Order: sequence, then C-alpha cells, then structure tokens
Amino acid sequence: MSLTDRIDPRPPKKIYRWDLDKTYLQTEFDTLRQLVRTALQKAHEKKAVPGAAALIRELRSSGDSRLCIVSGSPTQMRAVLAEKLHLDGVQFDELVLKDNLKNLVRGRFKALRGQVGYKLPVLLRSRANAPAEAEEVLFGDDAEADAFIYSLYADMVARRVGEPVVYQVLQAAEVYEDDINRVMKVWESIPQADPVRRIFINLDRLTTPASFAHYGPRLVPIFNYFQAALVLMADGHLNAGQVLKVMVELVQTSGYNLFTLSNSLQDLLRRGLPIAQVAQSLAEALQGPQAMLQVVRPVPDIIAAFTKRAASLGAPPAPLPTKDIDYLSLLDHARPRTHKKRKI
Amino acid sequence: MSEQRPVTIAFDVMGGDHGPIEVVKGAAQLTLDAPNVHALLVGDRTLIDEALSQVKHTAERIAVHHAPDFVAMHEKPAVALDARPRCSVQVAAELVRDGEADGMVSAGNTGAGVLACARTFKLIPGIRRAALATVYPTMVGHGDKNDPFSLILDVGATVDASADDLVAFAVMGAAYARIISKNMDPAVALLSNGTEASKGPARVVEAHQTLATIKGMRVIGNVEGVDIPKGTADVVVCDGFVGNVCLKMLEGVSETVMGLAKYAYKEKLLWRAGLAMLSSGIERIKEVTDWEQYGGAPILGFDKLFIKAHGRSKSRAITNAGKVAAKAVKSELAKAIQSSLPS
Repeated sequence: MSLTDRIDPRPPKKIYRWDLDKTYLQTEFDTLRQLVRTALQKAHEKKAVPGAAALIRELRSSGDSRLCIVSGSPTQMRAVLAEKLHLDGVQFDELVLKDNLKNLVRGRFKALRGQVGYKLPVLLRSRANAPAEAEEVLFGDDAEADAFIYSLYADMVARRVGEPVVYQVLQAAEVYEDDINRVMKVWESIPQADPVRRIFINLDRLTTPASFAHYGPRLVPIFNYFQAALVLMADGHLNAGQVLKVMVELVQTSGYNLFTLSNSLQDLLRRGLPIAQVAQSLAEALQGPQAMLQVVRPVPDIIAAFTKRAASLGAPPAPLPTKDIDYLSLLDHARPRTHKKRKI
Repeated sequence: MSEQRPVTIAFDVMGGDHGPIEVVKGAAQLTLDAPNVHALLVGDRTLIDEALSQVKHTAERIAVHHAPDFVAMHEKPAVALDARPRCSVQVAAELVRDGEADGMVSAGNTGAGVLACARTFKLIPGIRRAALATVYPTMVGHGDKNDPFSLILDVGATVDASADDLVAFAVMGAAYARIISKNMDPAVALLSNGTEASKGPARVVEAHQTLATIKGMRVIGNVEGVDIPKGTADVVVCDGFVGNVCLKMLEGVSETVMGLAKYAYKEKLLWRAGLAMLSSGIERIKEVTDWEQYGGAPILGFDKLFIKAHGRSKSRAITNAGKVAAKAVKSELAKAIQSSLPS
C-alpha cells in the first residue's frame, strides 16, 4: 500500500458481501446438539466451505474492493469468527453479527429467528456508506432466505420495487413496525443505483437450481466455489490465473478432481450461463508454465475433460430471460424455514 | 490432481415406460447415496435438464451427453439402430466402450440394448454368446445374506445355445452370484426335464458332463422346472428360449394368483376376512420379493457391463440398477468371469 493510499484510501470499486454460516463456513445447526457444538468450536476447528477462502483472497487481491460480512451468528462469537477468518488469510472490512441477546432482553422473539428484519437493514446501512458507483456481488446460501433478501435489497437500491411492496413483504416477514420504519428511512437516504451485479447462492441443502428461477439470471445457485469463480471470470472480476488458484485449493484440500470440476463446468453451461469463452481461456491458462499448476496436472486431461463436457451438450440453450421479480408471490421465501406458515 | 477415479455409470435416459424423469431421479439419487459413483445421463439434453431441474442432485457427480434419438419399446431393434445410429442406447454403449463410463443401465427396449452392446462391446475371451440373467423370488434364502432370489440365465439373449455356451453361462452366473449376491459358493444347476445326468437334449447332457469337470464351482447337476420356485439352485442355467418361456410363465402364475385373490376378495365376505388376516404376511412376501431392490438384469459375457432395468422401473429400481452396475465394475466382474472359465 502506498503512502497516499494510507492517508486517503481509494474508494472501493467493488463490494463483496458474504454470509458466514453455510456460505463461508461449513456449519451444522439443524439440531440442538449441532448448535451447541458450533457455539463451542474454536477458530481452528471451524471449517470453511471448500474454495471459499481462496475465492475471497483472489477477489480481494486487486486492492480496490471491500469485504462486508453479515451473519446471523450471535455477537458473542465475534472473536472466534474473526480469528477463523484471520487464520484463512481473509481480511474483512465489516463483520456484522446478530445481537440476539438484545432481542431476547427486549422480548422481541420474532426477531430471534427472522432474517429479513435483520439482514435487510444491515445491507441498506452498509450501502448508504458506500460510493454510489461501487458494484456489488453477494454470496449467500439456500438454508434460509438469502436469495429473497439479497434480491430484494438489489431491487430496492435500484428502485425496481415500490414502497407498498416492500412494506407488505416486511409485514409478512413479521418485522417489527419500528424496524420497518428504520428500513424505509435508510432506503430513502440511498441514492438510486443498480450496483448488484451477481448473487451467488451456495446449495448447501442441495436445493434444485430451478427453485431459484423466480429470481432471474442475476442470481446463480452454485454447487461449489469453482462455479462461482467461473461466473466471476465471465463477469470480469477474476482472471484465468485466479480461477485456477480457487481450483487448486479445491483439489488440494477437498478431493476435487477433473471429473467433478468438468461436471461443475458443464452444469453451468447447461443452465445457460455464458461461460463457454471462460472455459476456453481457462484451458489456455492451464497450459502456462506456473509451478502452481503442477498439482492439477495432467493438464491435457483437464483440457480434454472440459472440452468434452462442453461439446457433449450439442446446441447451447437460449440465454435466461430477465424479468421483474414478483416478491409478493415469493413471501414464503422470506419466512424462517421452520415458520408454521412456510409451505416450501 | 486427485487420481482416485470415480466409477461412472451411463444411463440411457430415454427408453423407460415412465419417461426421462424416473431414470434421472434414480441416477441422481445414486450419486447422492454413493459419493464415488458418477452418473452420465445420455439422451435428449433438454428433457434431461428439465427432469434434473425437478430433482435433488449434486452437479459435481452428474454429466449429460446429448443424444438426439431413442428407440421406442415397440420398435424392431436392428431396424431402429440402423435408422438412428445416434439413439441414446447406442451412444451410451459407445461412451462405455470409449472409457467415458464404466458400465451402462437402460430401462428401454431390451433387444436394442443387447444389440447395441453386441455391436459395440467385445465378448470376453472364451465366451461365444452373451446371456441375459435375471433374479426371481424363491422359497428359500441363498448365500450369506439369506437372499430370497435365485439367478436364471439365459432368459432371451441367446435363443439357441450350444453345450459350450451353457457351460459359459454357468461360469458367468456363478461369478455374478459371488460378486453381487455375496454368495461365495453358489449352487449351479442346468435346467432339464429330469435330474439324471442323461436327461435332456444332447447339448444339456454334454454341458452336464463338462460342468462336472470344472473345479472350484459347485455344480449340483440338473434341476427340473419345479425346482425353480423352490430355490433348489442359486444359479439356474438354460438357453434363452427355455429361460424366456420360464420367466414369462413365472410372471403369468404370479399375475393369475393375484387375479384369483382379487376375485376371492370380491366374492365372499369370509374369503375377504381371510385375506385381511393374511394381509401382513402378504405384505412381508411383497417386501422380500421386491424386484426393485435388484434394479435390473445384467447382460453377461461382454467386456463391459450392461444392466437392463425393467421397462416399468421407477427411480428406486434405477438407483439400485446403478448400484449393482457400480458394484460389478468395482469388483471387475468381466475379469472374474474370464478367470473362472475352463481353459
């Protein structure tokens, strides 16, 4: 970092917003036992989702981005979570955790489980402090309501969704009235822009990608972070070398191989994502002399596997259509998974 | 790069009675149940994607290979394969031959599947003709798992088998029982019209003599038709013509018994009460004789494996057919057969 930067840091051009549990961390809290174990885990015992740390490191390497983490984990876990991120070499700018003790003391029991009333205002407040031209990429998972919240946030900032709809959504999500008013107020203060370029949903529960079709092509469900890296390369956030580094971490730490990687690539092609050119660039980069690539040798096999998977599909599908999201028809997605009214 | 190669099973997605959805669902479930097994779905890519979009799966262990055509159940195999060389079952066989997959499963036209294999795979050295094997429920358990099923082959692939073919079928059936049913010392018998060694047509008598000389295989001689449902042998050997007649007769008897039970249920209150009292026992019989747990019938004799799933297979049967195929591949069934053949 230059002296000028230290005195007057460059404003971020890109903002990467991440959830933690089931997006960055492999967390299990479906049972009370798992919940207790997760709460008691030390930083070095926590496991990151394969490839997540490498992807963040590569996204941050250009130095003109911010990493903002918003998680439903309790504030009491701040130290251990910060230490885990530090151990993984992940530097963050914001780490917002949920103050459930405060909710409990104030008797706001609906807020204990609610995600919309917690995450949406946090995202909006963070956006209010960001440069209007900064682009955003959001990372969540399929465990709760990330797809809904992130999409709503993106459309609120872009003013693609009106006040009455937002109000109805927040009421359906059982957000307290004073919190609704706060959301509306922060929203008003944000200049209109269309910063959210991509939303990635990590399919921790193996929800079918088609279940997210309502959210349009901006949202990409992913089975692993190699898929996210490929799309981010197509979007201009990463270059081939950086994607390869994510690939290397997956191979070295999580047993990925050319079959699982080439199948992952083909899955995106089948879903109509425009990554055919990316696959080609990646194949070319694989032929480079970098020592790092030794771990993913034999290179000809990888190139052949990628090419074969792409070629075996026949004609490419039509690009996915873009249309406005009907949030009122998706209200169920905004409710906690265990909510009695939730039908999906 | 991790060198551990997964077992890949090619699924002909197009041929079954229930359309692509049940095959795709079954293949997807297989990859969730068995992490080291991958599925290669062969068929109309649009239909496969549509089916995949409805089922829980992990994309890391599934690949799709587009095949524009398919063979319908009613079509003549040779005519259909000649007319549409890019049909799904033929493409699947070629992918197995080329090493893209290790075995294949199809719920489509049986003749087309066998013919595609015959045109694409090689016969194991020492095997002259392939055999279609199938399991059927019997009165007694077999092997360590007390499996209620016996194996019968051939049931239609080789209509006119010679004595040498029958011997080869016996060896293949025994190897299959050892590997798939975990029956390490299966009782092998020839189907004839009497238990005496001299009974039956010349090819059966000759095969009986040869089998008696093979070491390491428990040949119990001849069995009669009545011994099939009794489960006297673990592996029953016959030619494709006889085997197919037997199989269809077993199916016919089963359907007739069910028909009679339905008739009895409607006819008299007392009979209805009797059937109601027996219902838990009938359910148990249905459980232990559930063919879906076996998934399908293997075509034995080729260097590559083909499991023919029943046309009306639902996803569970497809999953199990895939598991059987993966197990046979991992156990190197073809090599086991070759090493058991008399020199």
